[in-house]
Parts: sequence; C-alpha cells; structure tokens
Amino acid sequence: MYKGPFVCTGCALLCDDIAAEIQDNRIIRVDTACRKGVSRIKGCSSPMSCMVNGKAVDIDTAIKEAAMILKSSKHPLIFGHGNCTLETQKKTIELARKIYAHIDDTSSFCQGPLIEAILNEKLPTCTLEEVRHKADVVIFWGADPSNSHPRHLSMYSYFPRGKERQRGWEEDRTAITIDIRKSDTAALCGDKFYEIPINGDSEFINALFSALSNKVPKTSFNMDPKKILELANILKKSDFGVIFAGLGMVYSLDSLEPLLRLINKLNETSKFYLIPMVGQYNMRGFDHTLFKETGYINRVYFGREKIEHGPQHSIIELINNNVVDAALIIGSDPLASLPGEIAKKLANVPLITIDPCNNLTSQRSKVTISSALSGVECAGTAIRMDGVEVTLKQIIETDRFSDEQIIKQIMGKI
Amino acid sequence: MPSLMEIYQMLPKTNCKKCGKATCMAFAVDLLARKINIDECTPLKEEKYRTAYEKLKEMITPVGALTETGFLVHEDKCIGCGNCVVACPVNVVADPEGTASGRAPSNDKVIIVIKDGIVRPVNIQECRRFGPNKTLCYACIDTCPTKAIEFV
Amino acid sequence: MGFGQFLTEPEFKFIIVTHRDIFQNISQEISRFGNEYAERSSVITLDKDDMKKMGLKAGDTVVAKNTSARVVLKVESSVYEKPHPGIAFMINGPWANALVPADTGGTGVPRFKKIEVTLSRSKTEKVTPLNDLI
Repeated sequence: MYKGPFVCTGCALLCDDIAAEIQDNRIIRVDTACRKGVSRIKGCSSPMSCMVNGKAVDIDTAIKEAAMILKSSKHPLIFGHGNCTLETQKKTIELARKIYAHIDDTSSFCQGPLIEAILNEKLPTCTLEEVRHKADVVIFWGADPSNSHPRHLSMYSYFPRGKERQRGWEEDRTAITIDIRKSDTAALCGDKFYEIPINGDSEFINALFSALSNKVPKTSFNMDPKKILELANILKKSDFGVIFAGLGMVYSLDSLEPLLRLINKLNETSKFYLIPMVGQYNMRGFDHTLFKETGYINRVYFGREKIEHGPQHSIIELINNNVVDAALIIGSDPLASLPGEIAKKLANVPLITIDPCNNLTSQRSKVTISSALSGVECAGTAIRMDGVEVTLKQIIETDRFSDEQIIKQIMGKI
Repeated sequence: MPSLMEIYQMLPKTNCKKCGKATCMAFAVDLLARKINIDECTPLKEEKYRTAYEKLKEMITPVGALTETGFLVHEDKCIGCGNCVVACPVNVVADPEGTASGRAPSNDKVIIVIKDGIVRPVNIQECRRFGPNKTLCYACIDTCPTKAIEFV
Repeated sequence: MGFGQFLTEPEFKFIIVTHRDIFQNISQEISRFGNEYAERSSVITLDKDDMKKMGLKAGDTVVAKNTSARVVLKVESSVYEKPHPGIAFMINGPWANALVPADTGGTGVPRFKKIEVTLSRSKTEKVTPLNDLI
C-alpha cells in the first residue's frame, strides 16, 4: 500500500512530503526522501534489544534496573535528546528535575551558541518557507548541505521556484559558499566559492565588513580584494539574504561578536537572516524546550537548592572532571561522537541507553532499552532547524514502547 | 565520465577482432557509447588484464540502466538530493506546485523523480534532449553535487 | 628479519580537518558496526605532494599520533584541485574523534575540526578496529 505524506527524521530539515510503500507492516519503498532519509526510515540492520549486564531481559526488568541505577546515583547525567520527540524531551527534563540530574545535549559542543543567540533575539532568523519564496542570496558558511542535509538546496535554499523567485536559480538566486575546502556544495556555487584558511572565519568577516564599509579589504591569506568587494556588492544589493551557518563557522569563532557585527552591518542596507544547520532532527527542539523551562538551552544542573548552568555543566567538562556517576543516554550515541578520551571515561560510568538501534554507547551500557523509531514507529512533534514545529506521523505498527513511554515508566519506578 | 583514450589504453590493443570489431579503438568507441558489452572482449578476461578489466567494469555502467535518451544514473553516486528533479525545466512546466517548488511530485507528468533515494526517469521521452526539437539541456547534470548523471 | 623494521619511520606534522560525508552517514544509519561505516570513517585524505614526500600511495596505512591517541588509518589521495600541504581530511566519526583532545580549556567545546597530529608511514599495521578505539 502506498501512503503519505510522512515526515523524515533523517536530519533537522524534517522533509514532510515523503511517501512510503508498505507491505505487511514493512516499509518496502520510500519516495522523495534523499538516500540518507530512506535509510533512516527503512530502519537499521541492528535493532537494539533490552539487556541488563549483557543478558537479554524483558522491558520491565530493564526499566526497573534503569530506575535503580538512577535512584542510587548522586550525580546522574541525562544526555542526548537530539533524536527524540518534543514530548520525550519534556519528560527527560522532568526526570532530570526529579532526580537532581545534569542534563545536556549535543548542542553543547556544536550549534548551541547560535541557537542561544536566536532564542535571546540577538540573531535575526527566518523560516525555510521564507527562504524558498523570498531569498535571493544564500550563503553556506562552513556548511556542506549536499552531504549533511541533502535536500536543503532543492527543497528550500537554491533550486525551487518561490512566490517571489519565479525564474529559477540561475536568474533569481545567488548561492555562495564560504569554506576551507571545495565541498560538494561549494562546487555547485561555481565562482561564488570563497576559500578561507582554517580558523580564518573571523578575519574573513572583518575583511567583508571593510568591503561593506567601502574600504579595501585586506586578509593575511591574500584573498583578492576585488573578490571580497564583489561579494560585498552582491550582499548589499540583496533583497532577502540568508546565512546558513555550519559547524565549520561555529567551531572557528571564539565568540559570536564578529558574526553579530556582520549581520547588523548587512541589515543596514538589506535584510539578512541566519539559520543554523542543525544536524539531529530535533536537537533544536531540545534547546527550545529546556530554554522555555529554565532560560538555558543546554548544560543545566538541577541542583537541590537551585538550577545551575555553565560550561562546567557541559557533558565534556562533567566527564573530564569525573563528576558523573551514572548516565542515561537517549536518542544519541555519545561514545561515537565525543573525543576518544572522554568517550572512554564515559564508558566506565554505569550507562543506560534508550534507542531503537544498537550503537557504540549501547554496546558499553549496563542497561539497554529498545524503543520505537520516532517518525516511523511512533508519532510526535519536533522543531526543524529553522525553529518551525513539525508533526511527525507514525508509518508502521510496533510493539516497542516510545521513548516517552519508557521515560514515564522509569519515572514511575523512582 | 571516462574518455575514449582512457578506455582504449586499458584494452589489449592487439586488434584481434574477436569482438567483431576491426580494431580495439573501434571497440572502445562502441564501449563508450554503451553499444557493446565489455565481456565481448574475450582477451580482457585473461589474468594479465584483470586489473584493467575490473577498472573498465567500474567505469562503464551496463547498458541495462540506460534510457532511450541516453539518460544514465550512476546509482552508486546518486544521493537522492533532488536538485535535478527540481531544476529540470520539463518538471518545472509539468508540476509548478510540486517538484518546481521543491516538493514531492503532485502529478505523473514529471520526467524524473526520486524513488528509494535515487533519481529515476519516468517519462524521459519528454526530456528536452529527445524528439525532433531537441536541445542540449544541462540542468540535471549541472545541479548534481556528485556527478551522478550523464547522457551517453 | 630485515633491518628495515628497526628503522623508525619519519614523522610529519599535520592538521586534520573533519567533515561530513553522506555515504558514511547512510552506512551509519544502517549500522554503526558495518564494514562500510568503518572503511569510510578510517580514511585520511592527504595532499598528493605530501603523499609523495612521505612515500605513500593510496591504500597504504599511516599511524596518526598525538597526546590523545594513536590510530592507524588508511591513506587516500585528495580529490581537491587546490593543493593543501600539511592539511589532512577525515570524515567525522570515532576514528577522528579518538584524536580530538579532551582538554577544552574549560569551554566544553573540543576542537573537532582542527586536530593536530603527527603522521608516519606504517608498513605492517592494519587500520585500528572500531572496538579498540573506546
């Protein structure tokens, strides 16, 4: 049976026009999604099962054991949430409050600063629909959506015809890449590729700022001033410009100050917005949810007396300083994504993993609890990279519990 | 896309005619146009040509995946991003609300779509490169980030 | 037993820049433990002249070392038109992450995209298996 449209949870673009062919409760074909999305929706080859200390158990035993570990822990950490629905995220935050836990997510070491600036209204932002209909200049900065968010250019930022962009990408839009290497996305931008050295972003911003102020732009890496002036001209003439900020930019800037200065300058002559290239499908959702409840997007400690926040409560520093004595990992695989030394230390803490699939973290966990794949085996809501809320639908039936149900049950047993 | 000389250099260059062609160069021309199968060159199967044979197999995708217009998708390279689907001028005219707007196709008049994560031709005879008024359109090739499409 | 094995291979300083790759990502969706994921994540891409200087060809292995880890990786030749001496590229994953220092100066943000290492040719070693990384 051919059904849809569904929402893909392969990345934070949350493409909502996916069709699927279903036979005997199995997804046998997925249309319109990119290849990465197809592999997400069709599911992994190594589904996780419920285990305690390496032995297969029923889900109740696993949940009971998880509750016991968390109850006896003095400094538990709840980490992940990027591949969880908003409903689950509300529950994990509630659990963190209840057990006086540290709570953090991957934004702590990636897009966090940008999302924080957006939520605190320091950075102007817009929706992807506005990009489709209005944007005439799009800048991929330290980002390579052709590899990270494959449909970004076709669905929103470059190729589609929009209400105010009826003539197509060649005439109506200019795509620019600023990066340290000629990525697949940069190659599509032709001569609008600005190659900068590693950590050269701040200097490039300054040069661009000079060019926008009609001064001769100088760089220590000798980029042709004419090229920077040409870019400044394109940006000045733009009606609706958008910077898509990737990790390349985030990691290169010590503070957001140069970026904020540039955006303000650009907004003197035209309209410019920024959208962070969020990876996991609902990482931004977690940041929004925690922000609503605590005023902070990540790195929060629900202490007995007060809520604390800061870099010392980031997963990295908590592990570096041996603070954590148990961790619940949900919707993430930190042992694969953290620096090796930190991953090794985390692996020595009693771990509980809740996930649909086996991963490096689950392999080293004391307790694993198998959950339904969100957007495929269960419904929910999530927040897209641009801050828009999207409703996820269920595609097939499962007897696995959702993340939300599992967290609820763990809470019930504490 | 491999060049004629690249292919020729990998052949035995003995002009043995076992493939039915007069020269190895003629075989290379037909191989590039996918008019002939690599396996027709029997000497290539010999051990000393093994690396060349394997490399040629990789370079020349079999004729089976080819459509009438010569629209060829390298499935190992295609990422299903849909840039070609959205940029294709025939799709734009056929489906302004769907594919032209970056979304799933809303009718069956479009000529390329993404199925199971890979671009597939559906009404490829409507391609601008086909028919009496054919033009050399590059929209799908130029917008592909992985160079997965070629016309042969 | 040849004399060669007692000679230490010269070490060269490099900066590894990590990036994403859709095909690695697809293989990750299928399984973190699959061969394809391991093969794509454990490749280090080097500038052609750097490879020549080090006597490396595509498919050789190198030892990447710093104070955080020692990892054996497979060498591939760069596809970028512009030379990038001293800069190596890797797809982000557990192999690159092993080399990322834990010290963040208290910021909580590791340097995932600018990893300082030394590389030396390895004649006998195989690529570090996933299970040895953590």
